Amino acid sequence: MNMRSLFVIFIGLAGGLSVGAGYVAFLTVLGIIPRLTQLSKTMKMIQLYEWAVVLGAIVGTIAILQEPHMHLPSVLLIGFGLAGGIFVGMMAAALTEVLNVWPILAKRIGIEDKIVILMMALVFGKILGSLFQWMYFVDH
Amino acid sequence: MLEKTVYIRLRHRVFVQPKDKIFLKDIAQIIAENALHKQINDCMLYQVKTEDRNIIIIDILHVVESIKKMNPTIDIQVVGPSQTIIEVVYKKRKISPVYFLLIWFLLFFGSMLTIMNFHEDVSMQDAQQKLYKIMTGESVEKPLLFQIPYSIGLGLGMIIFFNHVFKKRLNEEPSPLEVEMFNYQQDLDRYVVMHENKENMSRKE
Repeated sequence: MNMRSLFVIFIGLAGGLSVGAGYVAFLTVLGIIPRLTQLSKTMKMIQLYEWAVVLGAIVGTIAILQEPHMHLPSVLLIGFGLAGGIFVGMMAAALTEVLNVWPILAKRIGIEDKIVILMMALVFGKILGSLFQWMYFVDH
Repeated sequence: MLEKTVYIRLRHRVFVQPKDKIFLKDIAQIIAENALHKQINDCMLYQVKTEDRNIIIIDILHVVESIKKMNPTIDIQVVGPSQTIIEVVYKKRKISPVYFLLIWFLLFFGSMLTIMNFHEDVSMQDAQQKLYKIMTGESVEKPLLFQIPYSIGLGLGMIIFFNHVFKKRLNEEPSPLEVEMFNYQQDLDRYVVMHENKENMSRKE
């Protein structure tokens, strides 16, 4: 192996390292995993959850780089899609929380009791926006 | 010998009406010997004025001063916070349904647009087409089988995060939103305690 490919390997490793660290840092700031353990009361399993995230990232990377063909039944995609959507939805919710949107909005317009209804606006907006995009918007 | 010690703990936050008089018993928990208790209960501390707007801070030193003025022989022991935040509650303005609907649709369409921008930004369609091909071996233009559950999952994920499906609490722990509201209120309180309290600020001339 010559110097050049060693250098490329080194750069690839460095890039992967920083992206992986950044991804984990981002997840940590959003606090999705603690939230899930809190809801399911499985604090003890937290290390396994960490592994789930790490393995998921690795498998996803390999899949997108190698593009293997697995010939699985397409029904599996329903569950996959649902899980992916829930994850992205939780990220979005956590992001609004980190940005302090709700407390400020509620204080400013004085509607602390109706905040759930306002939150539903965001939820339905996300669902309908996404459906609209996949079913109609992409054709234009 | 008569017990002259009074223990006072200021309340954190008290709501009053405009033009109220604020007495010691309104803003503090007091432990004292009975007669003394009655005597200082009605120690007048402050008269709410219109120019106070909606936040008044009463400092513990002001309380001590007022009690001493009443009866200098009392030994005052202070426990807990060193000021009370008084919030003057004016007539609550009713939020009109039109205004509310406007905000609702603002959030709705805003949320719709941001999620679409996000998907475009990260080339979600491409990734989903690739994923469909990897899993099933055939390529489709619109992998709706993946995309529709994904869209529903989006909303579900938000709801799960804020814990609104489980109206009956799963456990005693507050939801992230409640914690967030609490933290925000605490920050505001710390701010007004520092800035509205005239006794806290001084400038050496």
